[in-house]
Amino acid sequence: MDKLVKNIACLDEIKASYIKSQKGWEKEILVCGGAGCVSSNCAEIREALTDSLEKHNLSDSVHVMVTGCMGTCAAGPVILVNPGEIFYTELTPGKIEEIVEKHLVNDQIIEAYTFYDTAKGKRIPRLSQISFFEDQVRIALRNCGQMEYSSIEAYIARDGYYAIAKALTSMSQSDVVETMKDSGLRGRGGAGFPLGVKWQAGLNAKSEQKYMVCNADEGDPGAFMDRSLLEGDPHGIIEGMMLGGYAIGANKGYVYVRAEYPIAIERLSKAIDQARKLGILGENIFESGFSFDLEIRIGAGAFVCGEETSLLSSIEGHRGEPRQKPPFPFESGLFEKPTIINNVETLANVAPIVLHGADWYRQFGTEKSAGTKVFALAGDIVNTGIIEVPMGIPLGDIIYKIGGGISGGKKFKAIQSGGPSGGCLTKAHLNTPVDYESLAALGAIMGSGGLVVMNEDTCMVDTARYFMDFIRDESCGKCLPCRVGTKRMLEILERITEGSGQVGDIERLEELAETLKQTAMCGLGQTAPNPVLSTIKYFRDEYETHIYDKHCVAGVCAELQTSPCRNACPANVYVPGYLSLVAAGRINEAYQLIRQENPFPAVCGRVCTHPCESHCRRSQVDEAVAICDIKRFIGDYALRDKYNIPLVESRPSTGKRVAIIGAGPSGLSCAYYLAHLGHEVNVYESEKVAGGVLYWGIPEFRLPKKELAKEVFAIEASGVNIHLGVRIGDTIKFEDLQKDNDAVYVAVGTQKSRLMEIPGEELDGVESGLAFLRRVGLDVDRSVPEKLVVVGGGSTAMDVARTALRLGSKKITVIYRRTENQMPASREEVEDAMAEGIEIMTLVSALKVLGKEGHVCAIECTRRELTDFGRDGRKKSEAISGSQFVIECDGVIAAINQDVDTEFSANAGKPVIDKFTAKTSNEGVFAGGDASPWGTNIVIGAIADGKRAASSIDKYLGGSGELNKGEEIEIPVIEDVEVTEAHDRFKTRRLKVEQCQDNFDEVELGFHKLDAMAESLRCLHCDRR
Amino acid sequence: MNITINGKSLNVEDGLTIMEVASRHNIKIPSLCHLKNVHQYGSCRICVVEVEGMKNLQASCIVKAREGMNIKTNSAKVRQSRKVLYELMLSDHSKDCLSCNRNQSCELQALGYTLGVGESRFSGERSSCSMDISPSITRDTSKCILCRRCVTACNDIQEVGAINAQNRGFETVISPSMELPLNSTACAMCGQCTVVCPTGALQETDGLTPVWKALADPTKRTVIQVAPAVRAALGEEFGMETGTLVTGKMASAFHELGFDDIFDTDFAADLTIIEEGTELLGRLDKALKGGEAVLPMITSCSPGWIKHIEHAFPGELDHLSSCKSPHTMMGAVVKSFYAEKVNQKPEDMFVVSVMPCTAKKYEIQRPEMGVDGHPDVDAVLTTRELARMIKQAGIDFDSLPEGNFDKPLGLSTGAADIFGVTGGVMEAALRTVYELVTGRELPFDGLHVTPIMGLDQVKTATLKIEGTLPEFSHLEGVEVKIAVTSGLAGSDILMKEIADGSSPYHFIEVMGCPSGCINGGGQPRSTCEDYKIKRAAALYREDEGKPLRKSHENPALQQLYKEFLGEANGHLAHHLLHTHYVERGLYNERVK
Repeated sequence: MDKLVKNIACLDEIKASYIKSQKGWEKEILVCGGAGCVSSNCAEIREALTDSLEKHNLSDSVHVMVTGCMGTCAAGPVILVNPGEIFYTELTPGKIEEIVEKHLVNDQIIEAYTFYDTAKGKRIPRLSQISFFEDQVRIALRNCGQMEYSSIEAYIARDGYYAIAKALTSMSQSDVVETMKDSGLRGRGGAGFPLGVKWQAGLNAKSEQKYMVCNADEGDPGAFMDRSLLEGDPHGIIEGMMLGGYAIGANKGYVYVRAEYPIAIERLSKAIDQARKLGILGENIFESGFSFDLEIRIGAGAFVCGEETSLLSSIEGHRGEPRQKPPFPFESGLFEKPTIINNVETLANVAPIVLHGADWYRQFGTEKSAGTKVFALAGDIVNTGIIEVPMGIPLGDIIYKIGGGISGGKKFKAIQSGGPSGGCLTKAHLNTPVDYESLAALGAIMGSGGLVVMNEDTCMVDTARYFMDFIRDESCGKCLPCRVGTKRMLEILERITEGSGQVGDIERLEELAETLKQTAMCGLGQTAPNPVLSTIKYFRDEYETHIYDKHCVAGVCAELQTSPCRNACPANVYVPGYLSLVAAGRINEAYQLIRQENPFPAVCGRVCTHPCESHCRRSQVDEAVAICDIKRFIGDYALRDKYNIPLVESRPSTGKRVAIIGAGPSGLSCAYYLAHLGHEVNVYESEKVAGGVLYWGIPEFRLPKKELAKEVFAIEASGVNIHLGVRIGDTIKFEDLQKDNDAVYVAVGTQKSRLMEIPGEELDGVESGLAFLRRVGLDVDRSVPEKLVVVGGGSTAMDVARTALRLGSKKITVIYRRTENQMPASREEVEDAMAEGIEIMTLVSALKVLGKEGHVCAIECTRRELTDFGRDGRKKSEAISGSQFVIECDGVIAAINQDVDTEFSANAGKPVIDKFTAKTSNEGVFAGGDASPWGTNIVIGAIADGKRAASSIDKYLGGSGELNKGEEIEIPVIEDVEVTEAHDRFKTRRLKVEQCQDNFDEVELGFHKLDAMAESLRCLHCDRR
Repeated sequence: MNITINGKSLNVEDGLTIMEVASRHNIKIPSLCHLKNVHQYGSCRICVVEVEGMKNLQASCIVKAREGMNIKTNSAKVRQSRKVLYELMLSDHSKDCLSCNRNQSCELQALGYTLGVGESRFSGERSSCSMDISPSITRDTSKCILCRRCVTACNDIQEVGAINAQNRGFETVISPSMELPLNSTACAMCGQCTVVCPTGALQETDGLTPVWKALADPTKRTVIQVAPAVRAALGEEFGMETGTLVTGKMASAFHELGFDDIFDTDFAADLTIIEEGTELLGRLDKALKGGEAVLPMITSCSPGWIKHIEHAFPGELDHLSSCKSPHTMMGAVVKSFYAEKVNQKPEDMFVVSVMPCTAKKYEIQRPEMGVDGHPDVDAVLTTRELARMIKQAGIDFDSLPEGNFDKPLGLSTGAADIFGVTGGVMEAALRTVYELVTGRELPFDGLHVTPIMGLDQVKTATLKIEGTLPEFSHLEGVEVKIAVTSGLAGSDILMKEIADGSSPYHFIEVMGCPSGCINGGGQPRSTCEDYKIKRAAALYREDEGKPLRKSHENPALQQLYKEFLGEANGHLAHHLLHTHYVERGLYNERVK
C-alpha cells in the first residue's frame, strides 16, 4: 500500500523523488494523447517511437510520456521533443523513424516535419515561437500537454495538491472564498457568475449536508474544452472540487460527465482512485478534519442536463428536466441540500489562484473579466484545437494569429460563440475584445468556449437551421414554448432553406423567438432563439434572398440550386448546360442557352468577373473549369461573322409602353426581356452610342467595340427602340416620360467617381479613372501624361494604366494602400499590367498632390503597414509615420471607386429601391443596376438587375412575371468518365506582351474549338442529381 | 409583506405564489397546466406575468411572491406571450372539438375563449399520436397538451407510476414506458388521471354504446344499479351546487331512460357488510382459538386497489376479504335470485352499473367476476357517462320528480350510503359486527366512528369489545385494531407493514382513490375547492336521513338470506358472492 499523504512534507517528498527520476533521462518526448490525437491514431505513433528507440538503443536515455491535449488538434498526431521544445506535427510511423534517426541520434532537427505557422508563413520548430502558442496564457490548461496525465506524482511535481494542502493547513473556509472573490474568477460554463459570490452563498447555507457538483456535461456543438481538461489534467479538477468542498463545507462531490466522453471518464476514475490511495481524497485529509470524496455520474448525453437544475434531477435519478429557480441550488439543490455547481474549466482555475493569490490571477484579462478563457476552435479555420487566452484579446487575433486564419484561402464570414445558446459575430466585430460584457453587448455570448468559424461558403440561414435543429432535438419537452416553439421555428427555417419561405417568415421567427426568450422555463429554451436572432440581425439580407429570390448566396441550400456555378452566377446562367452543348459540338445552341438568362454572352465571355469559377467543384480536383473562356469561345464562334443566331419570338403586343433610361447592360437587358413579352420598349441614352459603360468604360483591348455592337444589334432586332443622345431631364422631362409610359426603368449607372479627398486634387492633370476612360472611350480626348500615377487597385485602375500605356505614357506607377493579394482587380489583370511594364506599389497611399503652376508635378505618398482588422474582415492598413516619399509625375488618376469600403455603400444619396422587385417609392418607376444602393459594379450583376426588373415590371403591367426566354433547349447528357483524371485547364491563345504595347488589339484571343470542347469536358456536372 | 399587482399595493401573507396572491385579491390569471393543490408544475407558461426587474416573464403558478415585487398580470407583453403560447399549443392539437366528449367542458377550449385567440398562425408537423383503449381508460395522445397533471396524479398522488413523459422535446408523449398499452402495465385503472386531464386526452373507455344497444334490444331485461357516491356528485354535471344529493331525480332518470329494473348498489353494500363481517368474525374466531387465520383482513370493494395489490404485493393476497365488490355481488344476485323471480334466463339479463369508478370497467371483464360463465355485470358507466346519457336522451334532469328504486334490490340502509367515502365501509361493518357480538348499538354518537372519519390518508382506531353475547364470549375484552386508508399511496404504507410482519391491525379498509369513491376516477371533474368535503357530507346526510342505518336491519336483505342464500358465508353465498385474486406481473400478465 502507498504511503499516505498527511502533510506538505509528504507532498515535497513525492515531488522531489519524481523530479529526481526525471533527471536521469537525456531527452524526453511528450506524445499528445488528447482526444484529437487519439482519433488521428497517436497510439500507432507511440508504438513506432518505442520500437524505433529500442532499435537505436535509446530506450534508456529517452523518456516517452503521454500527455493531455497540446491544443493543435488539426495537426495531430504531434510530439514535443525536449530539450529544445521541438514540435513535430502530422506524424506517421515513417516520419517517427526519421525523427529518431536524425534528431535523437544526430541532433538534427527535421524542419520539414515541424509546425507550419500560417500566420508567419513558414515552419517554426520551437513551440514557444509558434503564433498559435505565442499569445496563449495557460492557467486552466497549465498541465495539459505538459505532463503525464496518468501520474499523480507528475501532478504533485508540478505543485499539484499544494493548493488544497495550503487551504487546509493555513486558510479558513472564508479565506478561500475571499480569495476567489478577489480573484474575479467568473463561471466558465457560460453565464459568468462570480465564483466567490457563489461559494459564499454555499458557505452561508445552513445544512449538515452540502454538495459540490462539477458540471462536465459539455454538449455545445464544436466545444471540447472540458473534455480536454478532464482528459489532460484530471487531478486539476479533483483539486478544484476539493477546494470548493472545503470552502462551502461539503464532504461529497459529484462529477457529472456525459457518456460520450469515455476517455475522460476513464482517466478521471483512475485519478480519483490514485488520490484515494494516497489519502488525498477520503477522511481527515491532511489531518485537517476535512473529509471529501468524489463520485462520477455518467449522463446519457442529454444537452439539457448541462442546465444545472436538470443536471441535479439527473443525478437524483429522475428525468433530466429543469426545476423552478428559485430556490437556487445553493439553497436547495441536490437531494434538496445546498449545492454548488461549477463548470470544469472554472474548477481548473481554482488551485492556481489559491496557490499564487488573487492578485496574480488579476494580472491576466480585463477589469470585469479577469483571467483567461479556454476556447475550442472549430470550423473553417486552419488551427482547429484548444487554446487558452487572456480575456480581452481581440477576436481577430484568435482567428488570424492563433487560429492561422481561414482554411482553404476562403474569406471569413462569421464566428459562432457559445454554441446553440450563443450568437454569430461577423467581420465587423474582429476588433471586439473577447470578454463577457463585450460579447453580450453584440448579442453573442461567451458561452462555455466553443468558437465555430465559418467561411464565405456558409449559409447563415442554414446555420441557424442547424442550431435550431439541435435545440429542437435536445429540448426536454417539459415546457410548451421550448417543446413546440423550437419545432415551429425549425420548420420555418427549414422551409426557407428549401425555397418555400413565405412573406412574414422573418417576422414570425422574431415573434416566436421573443416568446421563447420570455417564457421558456430554463436557459436552454430562453437562449434557443439566439442563433436565429443574431443571424437575422447581421445577415437579414440572406434570409430575404432565400425567401424572396429563392436563392442561397453561399450555395449551401440544396433545394435552391442546380449547381454551384449556376448558383454563383447573379444572372443564373445554366453553366453545366452550355458546357454540355459545347462538348456535344452544338455551339450555337450553347449561345442560345446563355442568352436565355443573359443577352450579352460574347461580352460577358470577355469581361465577366466569373463568380461561377470560384465556386466550381472541379477546383477540388485540380483547377476550376475555364467557364468564362468557354463562354468567350461560344460568343466568338456563334457571332464569328455577324449576329446570325435566330432571335427569340416575341409575344403578341400587350399595348403597354415601358421607358428605360440608360442603354447600359442593365437597361438593355431589361429592354430585351420586356420586348420579348410583347411590351413596347423605348430606351433613352444620353450618349451617342449604346452600351454605356460597356462601350466606354472597358478598353478596346479587353472588349472590342465591334463585338459589343453585335449583341446590341440583337437587342434592337428584338424590337427595342434605342434613342441615342437623349438626356432625360433635358430633352424630355421625367414627368412626361412617366405620363407617356406605363412603367419606367431607371438604369443610369454610375456617372461620377470619387476622388481621393486629399490636398492638390484640384490641380490640372488630376482626374478620376472613370472620367479618363470615358474621354478616351468616347474619343473626346485621348491625351495622356508622360509620367502617370494611378491610385487604386481595382479593374478600373488596371484599365486606366494599361490604356495610358497604349496611348503613350512612358512611366506608369499604380499605388495601392493594401497588399497585392487584397487587390480587387483579378489576378490576371494585375499580372498582365505588370508584364506590360506597369509598376505596382503596394502598401502605399497618396497624401498630397503637388503642383507647379497649377499643374500636377508630383504626388506625395506614404508607406503603410497592416494593423488590426477592418469592418470588412480585411486587415486595415495604417500609414507609417516618417515614411513619406514623392513620386514625380505629370498626371494623377484616382481609380478608387471600385475599392469602396462597405461603410460607404450605405444608402446615402441613393434612391430607395426594393432589392427584390426593383420597385421604387415612385409608383410605376423601377430602378436597378450600378445606380442602386447595392450596385455591384460588375456587368453580370447589372444584367441580373435588368432581368429581375423586367420580370417585376411585367407583373406590374398585369403579366405573370415569367420571362419569355424562347424555346427550351434539350441538354445532351455527356457521359461521365468513371474516374476523373486530373488535368489542368486548357490554355487560351493571347497576344505576346510586345505585340500590344502601342495598340488596342484584343489581348485575349480565346480558345481553339477543340480546346474549348475538351475544356468543357472537365465539367463534373454537379447539376445531375 | 407588501407587493404591487397591476398598480395596486397589496399587503399579503408570506409563502404564497403570485397566482395565489392574485386570486385572493380577485385578479384572475389565466392558466392551464396548474391544478390547485394537485399540480404545480409551470409547464404551459400560460400564467406568465411581468415582474419588474426580472429579465423574463415569470410563471405565476410556481413563483412565490416576494417582498416588494411589482407585478403586471395583463401587460401588452404578457398578453402577446400568452397569445403566441396558445397558438403554439393549438398548432399541435387535433382541434376536433365538435366530436370530442370534452366539448364545452374542455379547459383548453375555455382558455382560448378567455385569451380571445382564434386561429393559430403557426402550423406544422403534428407530434405522433396514438389511441390506446384499455378496458377502463382511453388515451388519445392527439389531444394531449403535455401538462402532466396525469403524471402527477399517477406518480405523486397514487404513486403507481404507470405513466410518465417518454422521449423528449417535440417527440415527448405521456405514456407507459416503451409506449406499451396501458392494459399491459401495472396501471390500477383507478382513473385519477382522467379526472385531472384538462382535455379529451384521458377519458373513461366508452360504456354507453353497449348500454344504448341493450336498451334497444327487446330480448334483454335491463337492470341498472348505482353506487352510493354517484348520488352525491351527479348533480354537478347539471350545474347543481357541489354536495347536492340527487338520489330521487337519478332514480327517475333511470326510469325515463327505459331501464326495466332500477336497483341500488347500496343494497349490495348491505349484503357486503353481512358477508364481510361474517368473514372477519370467522378469522378473528380462528385466530383467538389458536388456529391459522390471516390477519389483518382487508376490504375488497375497490377494484383499482385490488389490481394494485395484485401487482405490488402479490404475496399478501390472502389478507383480502374474499368478498366480491358490491356491484358484482348485486349482478350475481340479479342474475340468479332475481332472474328466477322474474322468470328470466341469466343471459337475457343485462346488468348496468353506474359507478364513480373507472376500475370497475376493468373489473367486470375479469373471469373471476362471473357465475357459471355469465358475467355478473355487463356494462359499467361512470358518473360522467351517466350524465352524458341523460343529456343525450333529452331529459331535463333539473325538473325530474323525486323517484324511487325498485323493490326488492333497491332497498338499503344508511350504512350502505357511506360506502362512498373513506372510512365508510369500516364504520358500516362496525355498526353491524359490534351489534352482532354484543347485542348493543355501536357506542358512538350518531353511529359515526369519529376517529376514522375525515379525509386523512391513514386513520387508525382501537375498539375494545366488552359485554359480549354468550356465543361471542371468546371476543370479550379483545381490542380490535383497525386502520383506514384511501389512495394507493396510503395503501402502500399499510401494506409495507403487513409485508414486513409489523402490522398491528385486525381489519383494514382500503379505497383506491384518495378520499374514497366520492373522488373516484369516474366522478365529475370539479373546480370547487372543497368538493371532497362537500360530497362526503352529502353521503353522511343521506345516511342520517334513512330510517334504517345498519346493514343487518335491511328487510330485503334478510329476506334474500331467508329465501335464497341461506347462511352468510354459506355454500351458495360463496358460489355467488365470493372470489379469489391473482398475482400479476409488470405487464399485467397473470403469474398464477
